[in-house]
Order: sequence, then structure tokens, then C-alpha cells
Amino acid sequence: MLFRVDPASSVPLGDQIAACVRGALADGTAAPGERLPPARELAESLGVNVHTVLRGYQRLREEGLIELRRGRGAVIVPGAQAPDRAQLVERLHALVAEARRLGLTDEEFLDLARAGLG
Amino acid sequence: MNRLRIRPRPRPRRRFRPRLHVRALAAAPFVLALGVHLLLLALWYDRLPDPLATHFAAGNGGRADGFTPLAGFAALGSGLLVALGAGWTLFARRAVLWGAWATAGFAGGLLGLVLRDNLDATDPADVTVPLATFTVVAGIAALAALAGRALTGLVPPEPAVSAASDGPDGGSRVPRLELGAGEVAGWSRATGSRGMTALSAVFVLAGAVAPVLAVLVEPWPYALIALVGLAVGVPGLALSRVRVAVDRRGLTVTPAVLHRPRIRIPLDDIVSATVREVDGFAEFGGWGYRTRPHRSALLFRSGEALSVRRANGFEFLVTVPDGETAAALLNTLAARAKEVQRESRSDRETERETERETEREKEAGPGASSAPGVPGERI
Repeated sequence: MLFRVDPASSVPLGDQIAACVRGALADGTAAPGERLPPARELAESLGVNVHTVLRGYQRLREEGLIELRRGRGAVIVPGAQAPDRAQLVERLHALVAEARRLGLTDEEFLDLARAGLG
Repeated sequence: MNRLRIRPRPRPRRRFRPRLHVRALAAAPFVLALGVHLLLLALWYDRLPDPLATHFAAGNGGRADGFTPLAGFAALGSGLLVALGAGWTLFARRAVLWGAWATAGFAGGLLGLVLRDNLDATDPADVTVPLATFTVVAGIAALAALAGRALTGLVPPEPAVSAASDGPDGGSRVPRLELGAGEVAGWSRATGSRGMTALSAVFVLAGAVAPVLAVLVEPWPYALIALVGLAVGVPGLALSRVRVAVDRRGLTVTPAVLHRPRIRIPLDDIVSATVREVDGFAEFGGWGYRTRPHRSALLFRSGEALSVRRANGFEFLVTVPDGETAAALLNTLAARAKEVQRESRSDRETERETERETEREKEAGPGASSAPGVPGERI
């Protein structure tokens, strides 16, 4: 899996790392059940802090895209649904960015989402 | 950058001749030693005690304190020579031919001298092997090494590596990955072989169970099984599942469990990377960690492999999924590293230039110039 981060970007590094995994899963370069590199190794590889990587992994776990198990490391959730879910989360992130660009507050965005859910 | 571009052409399937010459010369001393071992046993059969004294105290004048039945000693000695011979024949290289001869000389000499010291002993417990014996053994090994060294001249040197051979820049396209100026990139992927894992696990299991049998039943065959089991199984298990990573430090292959032994090729040692088809059996005679002249490989299957051409012309291969991305990133990062090196070098040159100018003004001799460091080979 390819990880690319830009320390000069305004997006937090952890989020950039999460976006790499999400993108790879969405476009099929990473498969469900695949093991992510151990956080310490990835941190050394990219020259970032371990906690930054862990923050990214934590984020992916909250999005239901990976499982974090003690001793086993980070694994992309098995099952055929994972890539579709990654695409959905990607679209959600795009939506959030769009809402921010339009000046919507988080509360307004949530209201909108709730209204959409009906 | 002077990358050799060669017109795409139908790649001829390179035939790998097993280089019988080197192999034969590597096997010869062991055959010789085995012959001598068996001959001595046959000639001295009536004069040897059974059991033989086979282990000697370092102090106490080298008195015997360990014994092996005569038949066991014959089998063990032969097995040792055959195993060592097989190993050296398999990994025979022109440059280390003398090592095969030295090994055979040492093992054969030791076996022979133990027999000689046992000659006509009525009680094996009285047999002594003075420390001087070891100097004799070392002498035999040294003589054998010299003989092997002399025989090396009979083997034609291995052909020089040509960029036109199959592998990176052998007519195939060199992939690149676009990377922003400030962007940091890394690629990582786990790969392995279930078959290799299972096979190695069998060896490790045998290596773990055999010592118990060695203690409970009888030492000999089981102790050997334990040794072979662990010697083959542990490295096998370590290398049957690895993580391949490409980043600012180069290409790294790390065993998933033990993290050792690790293979690393730094960026400044990489000329180019590409993906090519590899037939494990035809090219390397099998799978696993394999070496051939000018190339080494970690193969889990036949098929697509990441291929790296190193500064010394050697090729390293590893079968890994998505190797195309890895190769592209490796090329981009290597080019970046070279650029940085060139920049620092030109900086140094301008520095030297100004230095020289000031010196000329002072009408002094030219200052000592430091040569740019040669990247050390590390793997």
C-alpha cells in the first residue's frame, strides 16, 4: 500500500495517512483482510511520530474500515463490503469539506444530515 | 543520469547452465574425504575398538570422555561429509572454492585423526588426543585450501554483468511515480507463502521434538534431526512471511515475526527498479531465498516480481503483489536521492573552486580535495 503525506499541507498528517488507506481500499489496491504496516514501522518509514500514525489508524477504526487488535496490529476489515464502505466514507469527507467551504457550522451540517436520514 | 535505454526486443529465455565446473570442483574434496574416511575404516577395522573414543577433554591431556559405536561413527562421519559437501556444492562460487576444500580438509582430517588415535586401543577410555592433533588438522585444512585456491584457476571467471541481460533496463520500461516537491512517500506490503510456512513449521516441530527423543531414547539420529530441523526450520519460518517496504531509506525486506534477518538496499545503491516475470524453478532452481551469480531473490511463487538493479550490476528480486507501484516509487526516490547528492557535490565543487581562487590569490599550492564518499554495499 502506498502512503504519501505532505508535511506542508494544512491537513493533519494522521488524516493524510488515513486517507491513503481509505483511498487504496476504495480503488482496490488494498484488499479486505490485508494487514497494514505496524505503526512504528510506518512512522519510521515516513519520518513521522508513531502517535501521528496511530491517530490515523484510530480514525480508520472509527470509520469501521480497519480492526485494531492487540498483538495482531491493524487489519483491514474482512468482507466484500469494505471497499464500498471506504468509498462511502470518502464521499462523506468530500461532503464535509464542501460544507466547510460553504461556511456551514458543524451543527448545521449535522442537522442537514439528520434531515437527509429522515 | 545515464540509464541505458535498449530497444524493446523479444527477450530470449536465458538458460541457466548449472556451471558444472565449479560444482564438480566444490564436490570433489568431499568425495575425496569420504573415500579416505571409508578406506581408513575398512583398512583399520580389525585394529579399532568398539565403541570408539570420540570426545576428549580439553584439559587432562586430551583423555577420552565420550564414546560412539564404530558403526555410528562411520555413518555420522559419512553423513557429515555428505551434508557439508551438498551444501558447498549447492552454493559453490568460483571465489570461495578454496572454502569448500578447507572445510573438506578440516572435517576429513579430524575424522581420520580420531581414528588414528584410536588405533590398537584395548580400552577406549585410555585413548588420548593431544592438542597437537588440532594443529595437524588445521595444517591439512590449510593445505586443502591452497589446493582449492590453485584449482580456482581452472574455472573461467563468471561473465561480467551486462545491462543488456534480462532484468531492469533490459529493454523494459522504467516506471516512475509523480511526487510533489515536499511530499514524503512510503510503500509497504506483506507477502509470503503458506506452503513455505507449513514446510518450515514441520522442520521446527521436528527440531523441537527430536531433542526429547534424543534424551529419552538414544542420542544419535535424533540429535542430528534436531539440529537439521532447527537449522532449516527457523530461517525458513522467518523468511516464509515478510514485509516489503520502499521508503526514503531504500528497499527493505523484513521477516514478519522475528524481524531478522533483514535485507536492505539503500537508495544510493539502486540504479533502477522494475517488475518482471520470474520462473523460480528455471532461474533459481526453486523458491525461498536463492542466490545465483550476480542475482539473489526471495521467491514465494513464480510470476511477477519486483526487480532491483544495484550499483554493482547485481539484481535483487522479490515476489510481491503491486510491485509496479513499489518499483515506480523506488525509481522516483532513487532519482531524488541522486539529485540531492549531485547538488551537494556541486556545492562542494563551487566551494572548492572559491577555495582554489583564494589560494591562487595567496599564491599557495592547491588544497587537498576530498573525494566524494563511495556508498558502501549493504544488504
